[in-house]
Amino acid sequence: MIATKNTTIERDDVLLEVRHLKKFFPVRRGVLRRLVGHVRAVDDVTFDVRAGETLALVGESGCGKTTTARCVLRAIAPNSGQILFRTEAGQVVDVAAMARHSLRPLRREMQMIFQDPFSSLNPRMTLLDIVGEPLIVNGIGSRSERIDRVAELLRLVGLRPEYMRRFPHAFSGGQRQRIGIARALALHPRLLVADEPVSALDVSVQAQILNLMLDLQERLGLTYLFVAHDLSVVKHISDRVAVMYVGQMVELTEAPRLFATPKHPYTEALLASIPDPDPRRRPGRGGSDGASPDGSSGERPRRAVLSGEVANPAAPPSGCYFHPRCPYVVDLCRNMAPSWNEIRPGHWVRCHRSEELKLRGVETPVGVN
Amino acid sequence: MDQAPPFLSVRDLKTYFYPDEGIVRAVDGVTFDIRRGATLGIVGESGCGKSVTARSILRIVESPGRIVGGSIVLRQDITRPDPDVQAALDGRAEIDLTQVSPEGREMRSVRGAVVSLVFQEPMSSFSPVHTVGNQIIEAIRLHRNVSKREARDRAIELLRRVGIPRAEQRVDEYTFQLSGGLRQRAMIAMALSCDPLLLIADEPTTALDVTTQAQILDLLQELQDQNGMAIMLITHNLGVIAEMADDVAVMYLGRVVEQGPVDDIFHAPKHPYTRALLESIPSIHSVPRVKLPTITGSIPHPYNRPKGCPFHPRCVSYMRGVCERDIPALSTIGRQQVSCYLYENTSVAAAGE
Repeated sequence: MIATKNTTIERDDVLLEVRHLKKFFPVRRGVLRRLVGHVRAVDDVTFDVRAGETLALVGESGCGKTTTARCVLRAIAPNSGQILFRTEAGQVVDVAAMARHSLRPLRREMQMIFQDPFSSLNPRMTLLDIVGEPLIVNGIGSRSERIDRVAELLRLVGLRPEYMRRFPHAFSGGQRQRIGIARALALHPRLLVADEPVSALDVSVQAQILNLMLDLQERLGLTYLFVAHDLSVVKHISDRVAVMYVGQMVELTEAPRLFATPKHPYTEALLASIPDPDPRRRPGRGGSDGASPDGSSGERPRRAVLSGEVANPAAPPSGCYFHPRCPYVVDLCRNMAPSWNEIRPGHWVRCHRSEELKLRGVETPVGVN
Repeated sequence: MDQAPPFLSVRDLKTYFYPDEGIVRAVDGVTFDIRRGATLGIVGESGCGKSVTARSILRIVESPGRIVGGSIVLRQDITRPDPDVQAALDGRAEIDLTQVSPEGREMRSVRGAVVSLVFQEPMSSFSPVHTVGNQIIEAIRLHRNVSKREARDRAIELLRRVGIPRAEQRVDEYTFQLSGGLRQRAMIAMALSCDPLLLIADEPTTALDVTTQAQILDLLQELQDQNGMAIMLITHNLGVIAEMADDVAVMYLGRVVEQGPVDDIFHAPKHPYTRALLESIPSIHSVPRVKLPTITGSIPHPYNRPKGCPFHPRCVSYMRGVCERDIPALSTIGRQQVSCYLYENTSVAAAGE
């Protein structure tokens, strides 16, 4: 940990700066609930979010992406580290160090969009109550002003204001997600944390919500911290992407660069695992000849698939956490943990061999689709 | 295109549910074929009836649902006879699975031995109080006349084949001791225990992470190459379909709206729903941050099924006075079949594209 805790953000365009964030959950066993270890859910994570951008946190289940997002909102308190946030008034505050009661004014500036639009809306409340609740909690406006604001918010997310007396059950998944977004926008937040906002939606509805989020970002100048596991969605919506593995960030850079030229072997493996919605690019099918393969004729060659499983965050491996699964592992990786290096301006990687490895990305072909 | 008749033919299948509130036409006239050794991908969004179709084939539709029409015909392949199919057919050339008792001898010899099922959530489809091995052994001994010892050896071999490390130890473990990926592998091992001719995989990778998903998909292809079994792969993930399927059936609200070889479906989609669905997904290869084309509206509630073509309220090519009257029949265009009035009269003529 850095000795001096300075609470200034150097770059003017940065809205949120997270430094050396750690969140460990205790593991207790037996009748006496004896402490037997810690799940290192977030283990020394450092990144920043620039005003008006979308930063995506990606990784597999248990990698700590949701815990990181929840720490940023102080929904849970981190064990250590700094979460510096530039408020609307221009002050820089450390969210991690603030007392709970002094967080409320800050909550207006940071809001959350949840994953499951079925469990995140109270079925006994009308849309007016749901979307208007943040206003009531913060004592904003009279009842009639509140109704006007709710109507405005519903219109903003593409719902008819007449719906405000209805209950959530009358709406489909996509419409409910719009309601959740309207609620998140009620207090004019500047940072929206969206935790898997489209993964519970049907494919045909996902695009509507992604378009809405892009549109709102442009109109309201919003900043998104976007937590997701679907890399196609992430590529579509993000300016920059941070890849997490077992509680650590392993790579962070601009989205086009990350997808085209990944510098961490785990990023490469993630990209290779995405099923491609184009049968012509199917692994082992050369050319664009669309002849139907006739079933069982011989072995089909396959893409390189990552073997093994995600490491246990309560007992991570020695050295680099990824080394047991890494195809490029050398002795150094087993013995020494790599540090978080900026290999070129704005491109951070945690890998000993990132400079020498030639890793494969995803090409964005010209003239296709 | 195949000279041999398909091994399983589903024709105009209708499975309705009769809850107190009304009728839900979960599957409403579904027709498709499954060829031996090939993969049929069934794509659709929630409520399209893809899982109920799978359950209808195995006759495990839960009350208040039942099959009210159509047929599911299972045939013996004369060139490659299979003892399990012979047992189920009992000397006949083919059998209509909708006509036999769900608890009867025929159905019991089909399930597991001829057609088996891999569920989406392996945690809820295994028993938590029996070891993985005992559950696989039970399935083997139900269909094969072997000793416990032999069945156990086979169970270990199956676990090894699906890539479970230390299979001889894992066989005595309970499902809660396995990770998500290993559980799904164990589920597949159980489904394969009696060498089925058809493996129905209902969203087999939806609950899994991408790297595990890639492992499971590769495993399925490998097993198919080795055994020549057919796979009916049910998913809403078009990427998975594009990588795995030979043929694709696109379902919407209980009906197949379009079907054909995978390349034709992805590169020359005919039905407005298929087109819109393909355009609306962000691809890893597409240009980021541009507006995605969307399908307006949302999937209707099962009690408010639109009249006529089920897709007409959301369709960009909706023709007033035509689409809302009757359900369009399947027309054949080239190698595809499509259920849409845009193609009613143009059938064979417009085949060349």
